[in-house]
Amino acid sequence: MRWTPALAIPAAIVCTVPGKATVYLTTEQAQRTIFPGATFTSTARPGVFRTSNGGYLVIDQVVGKHENITYAVGINPNGTVKQIEILQYNESYGYEVRNASWRAQFVGKSAASPLQLNGDIKNISGATLSSKHITDGVKRILNMYETSLKGAR
Amino acid sequence: MRRQRPLLGTFVEIDAEGLPGHELEHAVDAAFAAVALVGRLMSFHDADSDLSAINRVAAVAPVAVHPWTARVISRALALHRATDGLFDCAIASELVRWKLLPDHGPVTQPATMAAVRLLPDNHVAFDTPLILDLGGIAKGFAVDRAVAALRRHGIRAAVVNAGGDLRAIGPAVPIHLRDPVDPTAFHCAGMLQNGAIATSSAAATLTRFGAGQVSALVRARTCRPIIDCDAYSVIAGTCMVADALTKVLAQLRQPDAPCFGCLGAVGFITQPLATPQQTTALRAQ
Repeated sequence: MRWTPALAIPAAIVCTVPGKATVYLTTEQAQRTIFPGATFTSTARPGVFRTSNGGYLVIDQVVGKHENITYAVGINPNGTVKQIEILQYNESYGYEVRNASWRAQFVGKSAASPLQLNGDIKNISGATLSSKHITDGVKRILNMYETSLKGAR
Repeated sequence: MRRQRPLLGTFVEIDAEGLPGHELEHAVDAAFAAVALVGRLMSFHDADSDLSAINRVAAVAPVAVHPWTARVISRALALHRATDGLFDCAIASELVRWKLLPDHGPVTQPATMAAVRLLPDNHVAFDTPLILDLGGIAKGFAVDRAVAALRRHGIRAAVVNAGGDLRAIGPAVPIHLRDPVDPTAFHCAGMLQNGAIATSSAAATLTRFGAGQVSALVRARTCRPIIDCDAYSVIAGTCMVADALTKVLAQLRQPDAPCFGCLGAVGFITQPLATPQQTTALRAQ
Protein backbone atom coordinates (compact mmCIF):
# COMPACT_ATOMS: atom_id res chain seq x y z
CA MET A 1 0.00 0.00 0.00
CA ARG A 2 1.35 3.42 -0.89
CA TRP A 3 -0.51 6.65 -0.19
CA THR A 4 0.69 10.04 -1.38
CA PRO A 5 -1.58 12.76 -0.01
CA ALA A 6 -2.32 15.86 -2.08
CA LEU A 7 -0.28 18.61 -0.49
CA ALA A 8 -2.54 21.58 -1.00
CA ILE A 9 -5.56 21.86 1.22
CA PRO A 10 -8.54 22.63 -0.98
CA ALA A 11 -9.44 26.25 -0.38
CA ALA A 12 -10.92 28.11 -3.31
CA ILE A 13 -13.45 27.41 -5.99
CA VAL A 14 -11.52 27.15 -9.22
CA CYS A 15 -14.24 26.50 -11.74
CA THR A 16 -17.58 24.87 -12.26
CA VAL A 17 -18.05 22.15 -14.82
CA PRO A 18 -21.47 21.48 -16.36
CA GLY A 19 -21.75 17.81 -15.50
CA LYS A 20 -19.99 14.53 -15.43
CA ALA A 21 -21.18 11.85 -17.82
CA THR A 22 -19.76 8.35 -17.69
CA VAL A 23 -20.80 6.02 -20.48
CA TYR A 24 -20.35 2.36 -19.58
CA LEU A 25 -22.25 0.56 -22.32
CA THR A 26 -24.24 1.37 -25.47
CA THR A 27 -27.63 -0.31 -25.91
CA GLU A 28 -26.07 -2.86 -28.28
CA GLN A 29 -23.23 -3.61 -25.86
CA ALA A 30 -25.72 -4.01 -23.00
CA GLN A 31 -27.71 -6.46 -25.12
CA ARG A 32 -24.60 -8.54 -25.83
CA THR A 33 -23.42 -8.34 -22.21
CA ILE A 34 -26.71 -9.36 -20.59
CA PHE A 35 -27.89 -11.89 -23.21
CA PRO A 36 -24.75 -13.17 -24.97
CA GLY A 37 -25.49 -14.77 -28.32
CA ALA A 38 -29.18 -13.78 -28.37
CA THR A 39 -30.90 -11.73 -31.08
CA PHE A 40 -33.23 -8.85 -30.25
CA THR A 41 -36.56 -7.67 -31.65
CA SER A 42 -37.90 -4.19 -30.96
CA THR A 43 -41.39 -4.01 -29.46
CA ALA A 44 -44.04 -1.30 -29.67
CA ARG A 45 -42.58 0.24 -26.52
CA PRO A 46 -39.42 2.28 -26.95
CA GLY A 47 -36.45 0.76 -25.11
CA VAL A 48 -38.11 -2.64 -24.72
CA PHE A 49 -36.61 -5.54 -26.68
CA ARG A 50 -37.70 -9.17 -26.88
CA THR A 51 -34.84 -11.67 -26.94
CA SER A 52 -34.67 -14.80 -29.11
CA ASN A 53 -34.79 -17.02 -25.98
CA GLY A 54 -38.09 -15.51 -24.75
CA GLY A 55 -36.66 -12.96 -22.32
CA TYR A 56 -36.80 -9.18 -22.38
CA LEU A 57 -34.31 -6.37 -22.17
CA VAL A 58 -35.61 -3.01 -20.94
CA ILE A 59 -33.69 0.26 -21.13
CA ASP A 60 -34.88 2.79 -18.55
CA GLN A 61 -33.84 6.06 -16.97
CA VAL A 62 -34.10 7.28 -13.38
CA VAL A 63 -33.42 10.71 -11.99
CA GLY A 64 -31.94 10.96 -8.52
CA LYS A 65 -31.14 13.94 -6.36
CA HIS A 66 -27.84 14.64 -8.08
CA GLU A 67 -27.75 12.13 -10.88
CA ASN A 68 -29.51 10.91 -13.97
CA ILE A 69 -28.95 7.24 -14.78
CA THR A 70 -29.69 5.14 -17.84
CA TYR A 71 -29.70 1.43 -17.09
CA ALA A 72 -30.70 -1.89 -18.64
CA VAL A 73 -32.61 -4.73 -17.00
CA GLY A 74 -32.45 -8.22 -18.48
CA ILE A 75 -35.54 -10.30 -17.66
CA ASN A 76 -35.36 -14.10 -17.93
CA PRO A 77 -38.15 -16.01 -19.76
CA ASN A 78 -39.49 -16.99 -16.29
CA GLY A 79 -39.86 -13.33 -15.27
CA THR A 80 -36.89 -13.11 -12.90
CA VAL A 81 -34.19 -10.46 -13.21
CA LYS A 82 -31.15 -11.80 -15.06
CA GLN A 83 -28.85 -8.82 -14.77
CA ILE A 84 -28.84 -5.06 -14.32
CA GLU A 85 -26.19 -2.88 -15.97
CA ILE A 86 -25.67 0.87 -15.78
CA LEU A 87 -25.36 2.28 -19.31
CA GLN A 88 -24.76 5.92 -18.51
CA TYR A 89 -24.31 7.86 -15.27
CA ASN A 90 -24.69 11.65 -15.32
CA GLU A 91 -24.06 13.81 -12.31
CA SER A 92 -26.67 16.32 -13.34
CA TYR A 93 -25.68 19.17 -11.03
CA GLY A 94 -22.13 19.41 -12.25
CA TYR A 95 -19.20 19.69 -9.97
CA GLU A 96 -16.92 22.32 -8.65
CA VAL A 97 -13.22 21.87 -8.85
CA ARG A 98 -11.77 23.62 -5.87
CA ASN A 99 -8.18 22.60 -5.80
CA ALA A 100 -5.28 23.73 -7.94
CA SER A 101 -3.33 20.53 -7.28
CA TRP A 102 -6.29 18.59 -8.54
CA ARG A 103 -6.07 20.46 -11.82
CA ALA A 104 -2.32 20.03 -11.99
CA GLN A 105 -2.62 16.29 -12.46
CA PHE A 106 -4.37 16.88 -15.76
CA VAL A 107 -1.80 19.24 -17.18
CA GLY A 108 -0.58 17.88 -20.47
CA LYS A 109 -3.72 15.83 -20.87
CA SER A 110 -5.78 16.93 -23.89
CA ALA A 111 -6.14 20.69 -23.73
CA ALA A 112 -5.43 20.72 -19.98
CA SER A 113 -8.66 22.62 -19.52
CA PRO A 114 -10.72 21.49 -16.55
CA LEU A 115 -13.77 22.30 -18.66
CA GLN A 116 -12.90 19.35 -20.87
CA LEU A 117 -12.65 16.87 -18.03
CA ASN A 118 -16.20 15.55 -18.39
CA GLY A 119 -16.18 11.89 -17.51
CA ASP A 120 -12.61 11.98 -16.34
CA ILE A 121 -13.17 12.13 -12.60
CA LYS A 122 -12.65 8.61 -11.40
CA ASN A 123 -11.97 6.82 -8.12
CA ILE A 124 -14.30 8.85 -5.94
CA SER A 125 -14.31 8.02 -2.26
CA GLY A 126 -17.14 9.36 -0.14
CA ALA A 127 -20.13 8.54 2.00
CA THR A 128 -22.21 5.90 0.28
CA LEU A 129 -24.71 7.03 -2.34
CA SER A 130 -27.98 5.14 -2.31
CA SER A 131 -29.15 3.26 -5.39
CA LYS A 132 -32.72 2.99 -4.09
CA HIS A 133 -34.14 4.82 -7.12
CA ILE A 134 -32.73 2.05 -9.36
CA THR A 135 -34.38 -0.57 -7.12
CA ASP A 136 -37.67 1.32 -7.47
CA GLY A 137 -37.15 1.53 -11.25
CA VAL A 138 -36.59 -2.23 -11.50
CA LYS A 139 -39.79 -2.84 -9.50
CA ARG A 140 -41.67 -0.63 -11.94
CA ILE A 141 -40.22 -2.56 -14.91
CA LEU A 142 -41.16 -5.93 -13.36
CA ASN A 143 -44.70 -4.61 -12.87
CA MET A 144 -44.82 -3.64 -16.54
CA TYR A 145 -43.52 -7.12 -17.42
CA GLU A 146 -46.24 -8.81 -15.35
CA THR A 147 -49.06 -6.66 -16.67
CA SER A 148 -48.21 -6.21 -20.33
CA LEU A 149 -45.12 -8.05 -21.56
CA LYS A 150 -45.53 -11.52 -20.06
CA GLY A 151 -47.07 -13.93 -22.54
CA ALA A 152 -47.25 -11.28 -25.29
CA ARG A 153 -45.86 -12.52 -28.57
CA MET B 1 -13.16 -1.99 -19.31
CA ARG B 2 -15.35 -0.01 -16.98
CA ARG B 3 -18.67 -1.39 -15.74
CA GLN B 4 -21.17 -0.34 -13.10
CA ARG B 5 -23.99 -2.29 -11.47
CA PRO B 6 -26.40 -1.41 -8.64
CA LEU B 7 -25.41 -3.76 -5.80
CA LEU B 8 -25.24 -3.55 -1.96
CA GLY B 9 -27.78 -0.72 -2.10
CA THR B 10 -25.27 1.48 -3.90
CA PHE B 11 -23.36 1.71 -7.19
CA VAL B 12 -20.47 -0.68 -7.65
CA GLU B 13 -17.97 0.23 -10.35
CA ILE B 14 -15.22 -2.03 -11.64
CA ASP B 15 -12.48 -0.65 -13.87
CA ALA B 16 -10.08 -3.36 -15.02
CA GLU B 17 -7.60 -3.91 -17.82
CA GLY B 18 -4.86 -6.21 -19.06
CA LEU B 19 -6.73 -9.15 -20.58
CA PRO B 20 -8.26 -9.76 -24.03
CA GLY B 21 -11.91 -8.62 -24.29
CA HIS B 22 -13.72 -11.86 -23.64
CA GLU B 23 -11.50 -12.93 -20.74
CA LEU B 24 -11.73 -9.47 -19.22
CA GLU B 25 -15.52 -9.60 -19.38
CA HIS B 26 -15.45 -13.01 -17.70
CA ALA B 27 -13.19 -11.69 -14.90
CA VAL B 28 -15.34 -8.59 -14.30
CA ASP B 29 -18.47 -10.78 -14.22
CA ALA B 30 -16.86 -12.99 -11.57
CA ALA B 31 -15.94 -9.92 -9.51
CA PHE B 32 -19.52 -8.58 -9.65
CA ALA B 33 -20.79 -12.06 -8.72
CA ALA B 34 -18.60 -12.00 -5.58
CA VAL B 35 -20.02 -8.58 -4.60
CA ALA B 36 -23.57 -9.82 -5.21
CA LEU B 37 -22.95 -12.88 -3.02
CA VAL B 38 -21.72 -10.70 -0.15
CA GLY B 39 -24.92 -8.66 -0.56
CA ARG B 40 -27.13 -11.74 -0.41
CA LEU B 41 -25.32 -13.11 2.66
CA MET B 42 -24.90 -9.95 4.71
CA SER B 43 -27.75 -7.61 3.84
CA PHE B 44 -29.62 -6.28 6.89
CA HIS B 45 -32.59 -5.40 4.66
CA ASP B 46 -33.00 -8.88 3.15
CA ALA B 47 -34.92 -11.15 5.53
CA ASP B 48 -33.41 -14.22 3.80
CA SER B 49 -29.76 -13.27 4.37
CA ASP B 50 -27.35 -15.11 6.69
CA LEU B 51 -27.28 -11.96 8.78
CA SER B 52 -31.07 -11.89 9.24
CA ALA B 53 -30.98 -15.59 10.23
CA ILE B 54 -28.32 -14.80 12.85
CA ASN B 55 -30.33 -11.88 14.21
CA ARG B 56 -33.46 -14.03 14.49
CA VAL B 57 -31.95 -17.14 16.06
CA ALA B 58 -28.36 -16.75 17.36
CA ALA B 59 -29.43 -15.65 20.85
CA VAL B 60 -31.30 -18.95 21.22
CA ALA B 61 -29.17 -21.47 19.29
CA PRO B 62 -26.01 -21.41 17.15
CA VAL B 63 -26.65 -20.57 13.48
CA ALA B 64 -24.68 -22.10 10.60
CA VAL B 65 -23.50 -19.46 8.13
CA HIS B 66 -21.56 -19.22 4.86
CA PRO B 67 -17.75 -19.22 5.35
CA TRP B 68 -17.63 -15.59 4.09
CA THR B 69 -20.16 -14.47 6.73
CA ALA B 70 -18.12 -16.24 9.40
CA ARG B 71 -14.96 -14.59 8.09
CA VAL B 72 -16.47 -11.10 8.25
CA ILE B 73 -17.74 -11.70 11.80
CA SER B 74 -14.33 -13.04 12.80
CA ARG B 75 -12.59 -9.93 11.41
CA ALA B 76 -15.24 -7.66 12.97
CA LEU B 77 -14.55 -9.24 16.37
CA ALA B 78 -10.79 -8.75 15.90
CA LEU B 79 -11.35 -5.09 14.94
CA HIS B 80 -13.68 -4.66 17.92
CA ARG B 81 -10.85 -5.80 20.21
CA ALA B 82 -8.12 -3.85 18.36
CA THR B 83 -10.09 -0.60 18.71
CA ASP B 84 -11.06 -1.01 22.38
CA GLY B 85 -14.65 -1.62 21.36
CA LEU B 86 -15.04 1.50 19.22
CA PHE B 87 -15.74 -0.60 16.14
CA ASP B 88 -18.94 -2.37 17.07
CA CYS B 89 -21.47 -4.03 14.76
CA ALA B 90 -23.96 -4.37 17.64
CA ILE B 91 -25.03 -0.71 17.58
CA ALA B 92 -27.70 -1.72 15.04
CA SER B 93 -30.44 -1.72 17.69
CA GLU B 94 -30.05 2.07 17.86
CA LEU B 95 -30.19 2.38 14.06
CA VAL B 96 -33.41 0.35 14.06
CA ARG B 97 -34.86 2.51 16.82
CA TRP B 98 -33.98 5.65 14.84
CA LYS B 99 -35.58 4.06 11.75
CA LEU B 100 -32.31 4.15 9.81
CA LEU B 101 -32.55 0.35 9.45
CA PRO B 102 -35.70 -1.76 8.94
CA ASP B 103 -37.27 -3.40 11.96
CA HIS B 104 -37.34 -7.21 11.56
CA GLY B 105 -38.39 -7.99 15.12
CA PRO B 106 -38.24 -6.88 18.70
CA VAL B 107 -35.60 -4.23 19.33
CA THR B 108 -33.24 -5.40 22.02
CA GLN B 109 -31.40 -3.46 24.65
CA PRO B 110 -28.09 -2.04 23.46
CA ALA B 111 -25.34 -4.67 23.66
CA THR B 112 -21.77 -4.93 22.39
CA MET B 113 -20.05 -7.28 19.97
CA ALA B 114 -18.30 -8.89 22.94
CA ALA B 115 -21.47 -11.00 23.25
CA VAL B 116 -20.98 -12.47 19.74
CA ARG B 117 -19.30 -15.88 19.62
CA LEU B 118 -17.89 -17.56 16.55
CA LEU B 119 -18.06 -21.35 17.01
CA PRO B 120 -16.40 -24.14 15.01
CA ASP B 121 -17.75 -25.00 11.54
CA ASN B 122 -18.91 -21.46 10.81
CA HIS B 123 -21.56 -21.28 13.52
CA VAL B 124 -22.49 -18.02 15.23
CA ALA B 125 -24.10 -17.56 18.66
CA PHE B 126 -25.05 -14.56 20.82
CA ASP B 127 -24.53 -14.65 24.61
CA THR B 128 -27.26 -12.03 25.02
CA PRO B 129 -29.99 -10.89 22.63
CA LEU B 130 -28.61 -8.28 20.24
CA ILE B 131 -28.93 -7.03 16.68
CA LEU B 132 -25.91 -7.23 14.43
CA ASP B 133 -25.43 -5.04 11.36
CA LEU B 134 -22.45 -5.69 9.10
CA GLY B 135 -23.07 -2.48 7.15
CA GLY B 136 -19.88 -0.97 8.56
CA ILE B 137 -17.60 -3.66 7.18
CA ALA B 138 -19.32 -5.87 4.58
CA LYS B 139 -19.01 -3.34 1.75
CA GLY B 140 -15.25 -3.25 2.23
CA PHE B 141 -15.16 -7.04 2.38
CA ALA B 142 -17.14 -7.20 -0.88
CA VAL B 143 -14.59 -4.94 -2.56
CA ASP B 144 -11.77 -7.20 -1.33
CA ARG B 145 -13.55 -10.31 -2.67
CA ALA B 146 -14.06 -8.59 -6.04
CA VAL B 147 -10.35 -7.73 -6.18
CA ALA B 148 -9.50 -11.35 -5.28
CA ALA B 149 -11.73 -12.58 -8.12
CA LEU B 150 -10.05 -10.21 -10.60
CA ARG B 151 -6.59 -11.36 -9.45
CA ARG B 152 -7.60 -15.01 -9.75
CA HIS B 153 -8.46 -14.32 -13.38
CA GLY B 154 -5.04 -12.81 -14.01
CA ILE B 155 -5.87 -9.10 -13.74
CA ARG B 156 -3.05 -6.97 -12.35
CA ALA B 157 -4.48 -3.44 -12.74
CA ALA B 158 -7.96 -2.54 -11.51
CA VAL B 159 -10.08 -0.31 -9.29
CA VAL B 160 -13.19 -1.63 -7.54
CA ASN B 161 -15.38 1.10 -6.04
CA ALA B 162 -18.48 0.17 -4.01
CA GLY B 163 -20.27 3.47 -3.54
CA GLY B 164 -17.18 5.26 -2.23
CA ASP B 165 -15.25 2.43 -0.59
CA LEU B 166 -12.59 1.48 -3.10
CA ARG B 167 -9.49 -0.61 -3.62
CA ALA B 168 -6.86 -0.25 -6.34
CA ILE B 169 -4.34 -2.77 -7.61
CA GLY B 170 -1.57 -2.01 -10.08
CA PRO B 171 -0.34 1.51 -10.86
CA ALA B 172 -1.01 4.47 -8.57
CA VAL B 173 -4.36 6.17 -9.24
CA PRO B 174 -5.62 9.65 -8.24
CA ILE B 175 -8.27 9.52 -5.53
CA HIS B 176 -11.03 12.12 -5.34
CA LEU B 177 -13.12 12.81 -2.31
CA ARG B 178 -16.77 13.70 -2.51
CA ASP B 179 -17.60 16.71 -0.37
CA PRO B 180 -19.47 15.46 2.73
CA VAL B 181 -22.15 18.16 2.48
CA ASP B 182 -22.25 19.08 -1.22
CA PRO B 183 -22.16 15.78 -3.14
CA THR B 184 -21.57 17.61 -6.41
CA ALA B 185 -18.15 18.88 -5.28
CA PHE B 186 -14.92 16.90 -5.27
CA HIS B 187 -11.53 17.35 -3.65
CA CYS B 188 -8.29 15.80 -4.75
CA ALA B 189 -7.16 13.59 -1.87
CA GLY B 190 -3.97 12.01 -3.22
CA MET B 191 -2.50 9.09 -5.13
CA LEU B 192 -3.12 5.49 -4.03
CA GLN B 193 -1.17 2.44 -5.10
CA ASN B 194 -2.12 -1.12 -4.14
CA GLY B 195 -4.37 -0.15 -1.29
CA ALA B 196 -7.87 0.78 -0.23
CA ILE B 197 -9.67 3.91 0.91
CA ALA B 198 -13.06 4.25 2.55
CA THR B 199 -14.90 7.37 3.67
CA SER B 200 -17.83 7.84 6.05
CA SER B 201 -19.73 10.95 6.97
CA ALA B 202 -22.65 11.56 9.27
CA ALA B 203 -23.81 14.23 6.81
CA ALA B 204 -25.00 11.52 4.39
CA THR B 205 -27.54 10.09 6.84
CA LEU B 206 -28.40 13.05 9.09
CA THR B 207 -32.14 12.91 9.78
CA ARG B 208 -34.51 14.36 12.26
CA PHE B 209 -35.67 11.96 14.98
CA GLY B 210 -37.94 13.15 17.77
CA ALA B 211 -36.69 16.46 19.04
CA GLY B 212 -33.13 15.97 17.77
CA GLN B 213 -31.07 14.60 14.93
CA VAL B 214 -29.59 11.16 14.31
CA SER B 215 -27.15 9.64 11.82
CA ALA B 216 -25.90 6.18 10.94
CA LEU B 217 -22.54 6.94 12.59
CA VAL B 218 -22.87 5.96 16.24
CA ARG B 219 -20.57 6.31 19.25
CA ALA B 220 -20.14 2.75 20.53
CA ARG B 221 -19.61 3.79 24.17
CA THR B 222 -22.63 6.07 24.54
CA CYS B 223 -24.89 4.87 21.69
CA ARG B 224 -25.31 8.52 20.69
CA PRO B 225 -25.23 9.52 17.02
CA ILE B 226 -22.38 11.59 15.60
CA ILE B 227 -23.81 14.86 14.37
CA ASP B 228 -21.22 16.68 12.33
CA CYS B 229 -20.52 17.32 8.68
CA ASP B 230 -16.91 16.13 8.37
CA ALA B 231 -15.74 13.27 6.14
CA TYR B 232 -13.69 10.53 7.81
CA SER B 233 -11.35 8.70 5.42
CA VAL B 234 -9.08 5.76 6.12
CA ILE B 235 -6.47 4.20 3.85
CA ALA B 236 -5.46 0.60 4.53
CA GLY B 237 -4.17 -2.52 2.82
CA THR B 238 -7.65 -4.02 2.56
CA CYS B 239 -10.95 -2.28 1.98
CA MET B 240 -12.53 -4.17 4.88
CA VAL B 241 -10.11 -2.62 7.39
CA ALA B 242 -10.44 0.82 5.76
CA ASP B 243 -14.25 0.59 5.86
CA ALA B 244 -14.35 -0.48 9.52
CA LEU B 245 -11.83 2.10 10.70
CA THR B 246 -13.75 5.08 9.27
CA LYS B 247 -16.29 4.49 12.07
CA VAL B 248 -13.46 4.52 14.61
CA LEU B 249 -11.95 7.72 13.21
CA ALA B 250 -15.37 9.40 13.35
CA GLN B 251 -15.50 8.69 17.10
CA LEU B 252 -11.86 9.42 17.98
CA ARG B 253 -11.25 12.33 15.58
CA GLN B 254 -7.53 11.54 16.02
CA PRO B 255 -5.81 10.18 12.92
CA ASP B 256 -2.67 9.61 15.01
CA ALA B 257 -4.41 7.26 17.48
CA PRO B 258 -2.34 4.06 17.89
CA CYS B 259 -5.02 1.68 16.55
CA PHE B 260 -4.61 3.08 13.01
CA GLY B 261 -0.84 2.52 12.89
CA CYS B 262 -1.20 -0.92 14.48
CA LEU B 263 -3.53 -1.96 11.66
CA GLY B 264 -1.31 -0.41 8.97
CA ALA B 265 -3.85 2.32 8.28
CA VAL B 266 -3.71 6.08 7.71
CA GLY B 267 -6.68 8.29 8.54
CA PHE B 268 -7.59 11.87 7.67
CA ILE B 269 -10.52 14.18 8.22
CA THR B 270 -11.94 16.54 5.58
CA GLN B 271 -14.09 19.50 6.50
CA PRO B 272 -16.89 20.30 4.08
CA LEU B 273 -16.34 23.11 1.61
CA ALA B 274 -20.05 23.69 1.33
CA THR B 275 -21.39 27.14 2.01
CA PRO B 276 -22.81 27.90 5.46
CA GLN B 277 -26.26 28.02 3.83
CA GLN B 278 -25.89 24.46 2.51
CA THR B 279 -24.70 23.23 5.88
CA THR B 280 -27.56 24.95 7.67
CA ALA B 281 -30.07 23.50 5.21
CA LEU B 282 -28.69 20.00 5.81
CA ARG B 283 -28.85 20.43 9.56
CA ALA B 284 -32.44 21.63 9.29
CA GLN B 285 -33.60 18.58 7.29
